[in-house]
Formats: sequence, C-alpha cells, structure tokens
Amino acid sequence: MIDARDLVKRYGALRALDGLTLSVERGELVGLVGPNGAGKSTLIKILATLVHPDAGAAAIDGFDVVGASGRVRALVGYMPDVPGLYQDMRVRELLEFFADAFRLRGARRRAAVEGALARAGLADRADTFVEALSLGLKQRLFIAKTLLHAPRLLLLDEPATGLDPLARIELRRLLRALNGEGITMLISSHILADLEDICSRVTFIAAGRLAGESAAATPRSLTCEIELLGDSARALTLLRERADVRMVESAGARVAVEVTGGPEAAAALLRDLVAAGCAVVRFDPRGGLEERYRRAFGGAAMSPRP
Amino acid sequence: MNPMIRKELRQRMRERRAWLLPSLYLLVLGAVVIVFYMTVTTRPGSLEIAVQGATLGQGIFLAVAYAQLSLLLLVAPVFSAGAVTIEKEQRTLAGLLTSLLGPADIWWGKLAAALLYQGLLLASGLPVLALTLAFGGIGPRELGIALASTAIVVAAVSAAGLYFSCFFRRSVHATSVTYAFIVALTVVPLVAHAVLASLVGRVAREPTWLPYAMAPNPFYALSIGLFGAAERAGPWVGSLAFFSVLFAAAAVFAVRNIARGGEQA
Repeated sequence: MIDARDLVKRYGALRALDGLTLSVERGELVGLVGPNGAGKSTLIKILATLVHPDAGAAAIDGFDVVGASGRVRALVGYMPDVPGLYQDMRVRELLEFFADAFRLRGARRRAAVEGALARAGLADRADTFVEALSLGLKQRLFIAKTLLHAPRLLLLDEPATGLDPLARIELRRLLRALNGEGITMLISSHILADLEDICSRVTFIAAGRLAGESAAATPRSLTCEIELLGDSARALTLLRERADVRMVESAGARVAVEVTGGPEAAAALLRDLVAAGCAVVRFDPRGGLEERYRRAFGGAAMSPRP
Repeated sequence: MNPMIRKELRQRMRERRAWLLPSLYLLVLGAVVIVFYMTVTTRPGSLEIAVQGATLGQGIFLAVAYAQLSLLLLVAPVFSAGAVTIEKEQRTLAGLLTSLLGPADIWWGKLAAALLYQGLLLASGLPVLALTLAFGGIGPRELGIALASTAIVVAAVSAAGLYFSCFFRRSVHATSVTYAFIVALTVVPLVAHAVLASLVGRVAREPTWLPYAMAPNPFYALSIGLFGAAERAGPWVGSLAFFSVLFAAAAVFAVRNIARGGEQA
C-alpha cells in the first residue's frame, strides 16, 4: 500500500528526511515512533501529497505521490497533528462541504454525510456549530470527515494528542474497527501504550531515517526489570533456559528480560525464580515497546525509575 | 458550483461585518453626496451654479465615483489578503489541499467570494451614483465607464491581495503588504509622471506616451475614462490593460503558490 524509497526532504540546512525507506502492506496498522524532529510528520505529509520530497520516491497503491497526487488523494485520508476545523460552520455543513470537495454527488453524498454523522456519534448534533463541540467530539468529527470519501489508507499524525483517557480508549476502539474493515493505517504517536495496543507493527524513526529494523509490536511482550540480592548467576541460567524469554541483559544484580506471553508468563517467571531460590527484591514488568523505544533513542534501559 | 464559493459566502455572511460594512459604505457615500451638495449650494455665488444642474450632477457623480473607488480599495485587502492566511492560521489549509479540490478551485473560490461581496457593495452604491442622472450632465455611458473601471481595478487589487495571502503565513503581514501595494500603485505613477514630464518638458512637447506612465494609478483609470475616453481612449485602455495583466499575473502566481502550499499547511 505504501512504498517509500530513499526519501530526502530538506528545510534549509536541516535534513528532515535523510534517505528513509518504508513499506506498508495492505491491511496493516503500522505505528511510527521517534523523538521530536525525527521526521515523522514530514514523512506523513509527503505521503499525503502536501510536501514534495527533494529526492527519492513514494507511491500509494502504485500511484506516485507527486506525479499522481489526485489519485493518491482519492485513496488517502489525512489527519494532521493539529486538526483544523471551521469553527463557524455547523457539523452537517462542514461534512457536506468536504463531501463536495471530494466530488461526492447525489445519494452517495447523502449517504456519506449521514454515515459520518453516525460514525462520529453526532447525528443529534448535526446543527451544532463546531466551536461548541468538546475536543473529543471535534476529534471524532475530524476522523469522520477524513473517512467521508472512503479512503483505503489513513495517515494519522498524533491523533490522540490532547484527548482525555476515555476519548483515547474510544479512539483506539475506532481505529481497530476501521482496520478491521480493511483500512490500512500509518499512525505517528508519542503514546506508546496506544500504539502497542493497536498496531500490528511499529517502526522507529530517528534523524530522518529508520532507526534499525521495524520491529513487530507484540502486545503480549513485556520487559521485566528484576533486581536480585546476591549472586545472579543462577537466575541468569534459569532465565536463558526458558522458551518464553527472548532477551536477557544483566548489569550486576539487575537483570532485564523480555518475556512473551503477557502478564501470565511474567507471573510464572517470578514464581519459578523464587522457587529456584533466587532472592528477588524487585520485579517490574513493563510494556515491551516502551523499553525498545528507550533502547533505540538513548534512554538507559537499566536506569532506575525516578 | 465550486464548493469553496458556497463555503466562503456562507462563512462571510455569518460575520457581523456582513451587514455592518454595507451600512457604513452607504452612509459614507450618502455623506459625500450631502457634503458636496451643501458645499456647492451654500457658498457665495452658488445660485448660478445651482441653476446649472448638469454641473452639479457631474460634480456629485465624480465625488461619489472617487469615494466609491477609495472605499473599495480600503475594503479589498480585508477580504482578499486574509483569505488563504486564515486557512493557515486555523490549520484548515491541509484539509483543502488533501481534498480533490485543485489549487485553481481553491483560488477561484476565494477570489469569487471576495469579488462577489465587493460586487454587492458596488451594486448597493449604484442608486446613489445613479441619483446624479436626475441632475443631467451624466449619462449611462459615464455610469458604465465608472462601474467598469472600478470593477476592473478592484478585481486586480483583490487578486494581488489574494496572492499575498498565499505567499505569507500571517493575515496581518499579507494585509499590510497589500495596503502598501495599493499606496505604491497610487503614488509611484504620480511621481514617475511628474519626473518624466519635467524631463521631457525641457526638450520637447509632451510626447504621446507620457500619460501611460499614470496607467498603474487606480484613480487614473477612472479619471481618464470619465474625462477623456472619447478623445484619449489609448491611456484608458492602457490603464485597464495594466490592471488586467496584474490580475492575470497575480492569479498565476497565487495558484502556483497554493499548489506548493503544503509546507505552510
């Protein structure tokens, strides 16, 4: 669905993208993570046809984002990091305007607008001015507007920014449902827990390049920080023998392991360590993505929590 | 119908200035008529002039025509120079650029909405302007020339304002530059004409090309059209041609700028 090769984008002396290559298959839900200024938004803007790359090429479903931008726009729904809506328009007017802007006509236009109102849960507020909606409702309205023309690819740049926890849960549910309908998604976000929850794959990006290989997000994968009293050799041996442990790192009495199988596997691991006579004084299981992010972007994997 | 035009007009007519501006516009034009009439008819020896209805009618007509052009030149940047920058400031430009609306659709929607509103002002001033027909000395021809000259000049200035709106990120910058541009159009040809006239005046008769130095002046297009269209059609046509070229150039550059506008979105 997305085929981006050797993308370069410069803003003056700054290289926002520096030879980035990315491929996303149809139906995937891919997360894009990296520190501020890594080039995530620039990549998404290029794929949305807003910005032209200085070098390299990108295609959506085989259509070049520069040479066939009109075809690409018909396939793509784009949500920027700060989604702007016309505050002085009513909800229905706004959706009708964008339906017209995507050249929907007649029954298809009516169905798209009514469907968008229903999807956003705003059918009973269709005549409300946009400025009167809460941030969460505006976000839902923007997503509904983005889906008006039935795009096959959604490009979402920080979609959860500013949302309260309930709105974030709702957003995750909506994105999962849309992905279930076959819509491919590329989501940039700093909220790793959200990405870990919904993405089939997460790609790390730093300084305009892929930061290593794209790693499969395995929501059932946890990184456990273990602190032992005394000799850790027995614990290390036991950990390395286990089939559900993928990675073991040690620094003195502290050990970090990546365990697959979710909280149940982590609990079994702790039980086995204690049964083997290891003196565990701290056992701290965390989401795997957060740990991988810390390792990729300079956070000390073994540093104690503040 | 271009959806941009419908959206722009809907938003514009919801603003308070949608009714405030035409009211003020007509008040000013009405005040110009009253002040001019009172000044002419109450000064010493005015009885003779008052009897000459045609002279009074021409005077009022010119005063209203110049006042109308001045007001529209004041209003044009308000509607054109903020048209695209407001989309950048509200972060809504990305939504337009990623839709199936082309840059030309966006440009035309913005310009048409601005021109339609200014056309509304021009039309609302028409009864005031046409009032002078009752005095004599002014016919439909003069009325047509005044309207055509004003419309072409205002359209060109609005197109320039829209270009500045595409170029700048902030409305305040685009509006300031558009006003500066209008002042430059007014002042620079006057100075250039005066300098050239003083230079050629020393060596020869005034050459036929000299009036063309005034062509970019917005008020010259109106003046030469009313005072000398029959005998001196060349400078009038030249002035309108200048504003037509300005309109076309502003349109081309604005559309190109919108097409590349994603980085400001």
